[in-house]
Amino acid sequence: MATTEERIRKLVDENLEIEGRPLGRGLDLNASLRDAGVPSADFLAFTKVVAEEFNLTFSPEDCSRFENLGDLVTFLDSRG
Amino acid sequence: MVMIAQNSSESLSFVPGPWWSPFATTAGVQIVHVALSPDPACESEAYGWLDKAERGAWGKYLPRPRRQFTLCRAALRAILCERFDCRNDQLSFGAGRHGKPFAIAGGARIPFNFNVSHSGGHGLIALSAAGRLGVDIEERIPRRYLNELIEAVMAPEEQTELAALPESAKLHLFYRLWTLKEALIKALGTGFSTDPSGFQAPPAMRRDGRSSVFSFPNLPSVAWMLEDIGDERFAAALAYELESPKIGR
Repeated sequence: MATTEERIRKLVDENLEIEGRPLGRGLDLNASLRDAGVPSADFLAFTKVVAEEFNLTFSPEDCSRFENLGDLVTFLDSRG
Repeated sequence: MVMIAQNSSESLSFVPGPWWSPFATTAGVQIVHVALSPDPACESEAYGWLDKAERGAWGKYLPRPRRQFTLCRAALRAILCERFDCRNDQLSFGAGRHGKPFAIAGGARIPFNFNVSHSGGHGLIALSAAGRLGVDIEERIPRRYLNELIEAVMAPEEQTELAALPESAKLHLFYRLWTLKEALIKALGTGFSTDPSGFQAPPAMRRDGRSSVFSFPNLPSVAWMLEDIGDERFAAALAYELESPKIGR
């Protein structure tokens, strides 16, 4: 079974892009998405895709805590 | 402690630089345009303005956001130094709980509001000596998942209005509405903890209106002036706090 990180990387690959170009598989999970150039609307849309994939909901407060994808993976793992 | 003196001029005039120039002025808010196209000479000069902390952050950026950050931050430094008659090495930046930056000079927070946004080859810096403000700019790039983006960040009524439009008009209105919402959220300074789908842009601005007064549903006592400042190159919006509510204006 795929790990949370693998599932997130797959979702990134399928859903996140910067100015029309895919973000790419080499993304450092600890790098800030803002620093990578991901627009905030895209990040919010991405959290909804993730919520659907993992069958849960994120509050706006949850979203405000995710500085990078590593934070998201940690949060998801903590939810079991 | 260094004493920071505000430029005595009531206007927010400043000397344009190699990559920044006046864009608009409205109700005491000065908006500066920053050219962000690749330019090694400007980027090298801009890097020279950054302090140690900013150079550390610089190293973490990918090339395009690195250029955007460097050119915008250096322009902001030059403008603030001129306005407050301080040296660049006296200036640093802090950030609020949700990441909204503020300027510090001589160890004290400068009582001056600014906000920065960039997209592609363009940046905007909004500056005001009065209340809180937020600015957002987006180049109108076609989106692969536009409908999903709309569903994620727009209120139900906005989604209905967007769904009725042909693709090119839909993209145009999406960027218009998104910059309005993002400017408001940035002015409020709450980041993603404010859900953009939880409020809607004023009806007049969802059509052709260029400005309107707005209040968040959960914060009706605070009024914001909302202005569409976009042009043919990009969508852009400015939100700034009004001294007293003027709902219905």
